[in-house]
Amino acid sequence: MSLNDCYNFEDFRKLAKKKLPAPIFHYIDGGADDETTLKRNTESFLKCDLVPNILASVGEPDLSTSVFGQKIDMPIFLSPTAMQRLYHYDGDKASARAAEKFGTFYSMSTMATSSIEEIANISGGPKLFQLYIHKDQGLTDNLIERCKNSGFKAMCLTVDTVVAGNRERDHRWGFTTPPKLTLKSILSFAMHPKWAYNYFTHEKFELANVSHWTKKGSSIAKGVMEYINEQYDPAMSWKDAEYVVKKWGGPFALKGVMSVEDAKRAVDIGASAIMLSNHGGRQLDGSRSPFDQLPAIADAVGGKIEIILDGGIRRGTHVLKALSLGATACSFGKAFLFALGAGGQKGVEQILKRMRDEIKRDMILLGCKSIKELNKTKIAYR
Amino acid sequence: MRLKDCHNFNDFRTLAKKKLPSPIFHYIDGAADDEVTYKRNTSAFNDVDLVPNVLRGVEKVDLSTTIFGQKLDLPFYCSPTALQRLFHYQGERAVGKAAQKFNTMFGVSSLATVSAEEISSLVSTPKLFQFYYHKDKGLNDAILERAKAAKFDVMALTVDTITGGNRERDLRTGFTSPPKLTLESLISFAIKPMWGINYVTRGKFELPHLQDHVKEGTSTATSVGNYFSTMLDQSMNWKDAENLCAKWGGHFALKGIMSVEDAKRAVDIGCTGIMVSNHGGRQLDGARSPFDQLAEIVDAVGDKIDVICEGGIQRGTHILKALSIGAKACAGGRLYLYALAAAGQIGVEKALGQLRTELERDMKLMGCTKISELSRKNLRFRNA
Repeated sequence: MSLNDCYNFEDFRKLAKKKLPAPIFHYIDGGADDETTLKRNTESFLKCDLVPNILASVGEPDLSTSVFGQKIDMPIFLSPTAMQRLYHYDGDKASARAAEKFGTFYSMSTMATSSIEEIANISGGPKLFQLYIHKDQGLTDNLIERCKNSGFKAMCLTVDTVVAGNRERDHRWGFTTPPKLTLKSILSFAMHPKWAYNYFTHEKFELANVSHWTKKGSSIAKGVMEYINEQYDPAMSWKDAEYVVKKWGGPFALKGVMSVEDAKRAVDIGASAIMLSNHGGRQLDGSRSPFDQLPAIADAVGGKIEIILDGGIRRGTHVLKALSLGATACSFGKAFLFALGAGGQKGVEQILKRMRDEIKRDMILLGCKSIKELNKTKIAYR
Repeated sequence: MRLKDCHNFNDFRTLAKKKLPSPIFHYIDGAADDEVTYKRNTSAFNDVDLVPNVLRGVEKVDLSTTIFGQKLDLPFYCSPTALQRLFHYQGERAVGKAAQKFNTMFGVSSLATVSAEEISSLVSTPKLFQFYYHKDKGLNDAILERAKAAKFDVMALTVDTITGGNRERDLRTGFTSPPKLTLESLISFAIKPMWGINYVTRGKFELPHLQDHVKEGTSTATSVGNYFSTMLDQSMNWKDAENLCAKWGGHFALKGIMSVEDAKRAVDIGCTGIMVSNHGGRQLDGARSPFDQLAEIVDAVGDKIDVICEGGIQRGTHILKALSIGAKACAGGRLYLYALAAAGQIGVEKALGQLRTELERDMKLMGCTKISELSRKNLRFRNA
């Protein structure tokens, strides 16, 4: 199986599984507890159907839309995800370059393995920075300042990780960052010599944005869950979020908002967007899926704030359904991470191309010339 | 697989299966008829989703709750279950001491294999005594007196075992109390020698609450289903329950209430709580799951008595959902029984500890710091 054989999410996932040591594959692939929310995130798209209009002389549909004050060429972008160098030695550089080629947002995690400045140097595309509020306020301020200086377009604050989710696959595989070799995982690393070769012969693994503040995660083997519990501030409040909005001063999203009440409050504190998300089913299992919750959120705050649907997206039709119900744009993590693991920058380009082709085809079949034409009339619930 | 590899309910179950002779494992693991209700008890939780709130400042979470006038550190406790020394030689002693460590309630069954007096001397935290209403009224009075003398805090009368459920796995494996060796089960007992050694060497098997009155279960082998059908009083009615409640004079609950009508009647006869339960799917297959039925019951009597949701709980989020609907607490049997079988007291402690950790994490992710902050606003039902 090669990159050319990857037509959809499942294909990229399969290839990544082949290429990655098991602890790393399962870190991407897993969710919290029984993974019911992880499954539901995608299943919820099947609850409604698309109703096409015919003979609409669509021609070449326009997939562009605007989010965070930025025009992007397709209505989906890369969610911020941690530690991309574990999946491919090019890590964030590969994703940032691929996103730029397709004219959409690349997002950088606080826990990225390249620094803010490095990525700003290699990519002129639109960039979003994802912020975690650390217990050490100096670190938070420092990150915001650096993003400003490096020309990042937008910032999002993750609010659904006050405590780490119970990712049992990571318990079983002993997933830590940097990878710690246990008897069980060593076998899996040994069976993927190419990954190991690349990991050790390229630049040293580090959490480039925070490594000068804390050695955790770079020099000490720390589970991601442990890192979250030690470094992030569980006392984080609306006041802290408001502080970050002001300090940043540009397009800003709260990532991980699910309730209508919180969505309204995001408007009040001056956020320009919310990312409707349950962290890919990796935090609170049993949490509602973003797509299930979308209509209620769109009713309450649609038009007042941009709504980004994050979670469960596997297909172009999923994007179209979300946009029809009021999302401004969508974002995805797992899909492009598998592609990154499968083939680096080429892999991410491949999945963005597949996604763009699907969205375009589906728009034509649906009879829509532009994203603006998508609305509730295109959707029928079962 | 070892105890340290047990991260959840299913892991404990897998380990218990490895350790127990199969008739005993299937006695715990099995349920009535086609086990439809047994499965639904857990899957019911998946038909409702949680909607969290963010940025609430959730450094410290208080999980304590008060039921039956007892303040517990956790909103869940160990349901009374029979025959615990068959599962691990420490039996009720292990569960009682583990519950005490977590300051939550421990239920002792009429069919317990350690006496009420001994439990009372070991465990000073809140204790519930589970009562089966026998045909032999002398036996009933004696049990009540013993529970009173042993200073149990709550009496719970089980009302859903008027006859034995059709537990087909027990029919197939020939499970009886005390264990009777049939050719088929002999092999299974033989390949789990540790269980056999412990069973024979760690003190004689007995049902201390009953053995002075009946032979069945101690010196005469009987299945639990058969015991219910032959020894319990099928003419038991509301008057009997009311009399028992009055005779007890303290906190009194009916265990196995499912209908709104019965819940209201429980209030009328002076109960201070009810366990919404279908006996873990082990009695009437096709019965509604406690979680599915919970909202109706809470709406009818939630402000008058303590409503406990019992059955199907395997995760912290399950407890969170039941409490959000209005249950005062949750309870479960299998949630600690597999762990008991897997490793005795340290197993039960691990199971309770993991559930507490899950619940604490889930509360934080929901943006809640106290049980009282949970409400139906946190939930959305699917297809509604």
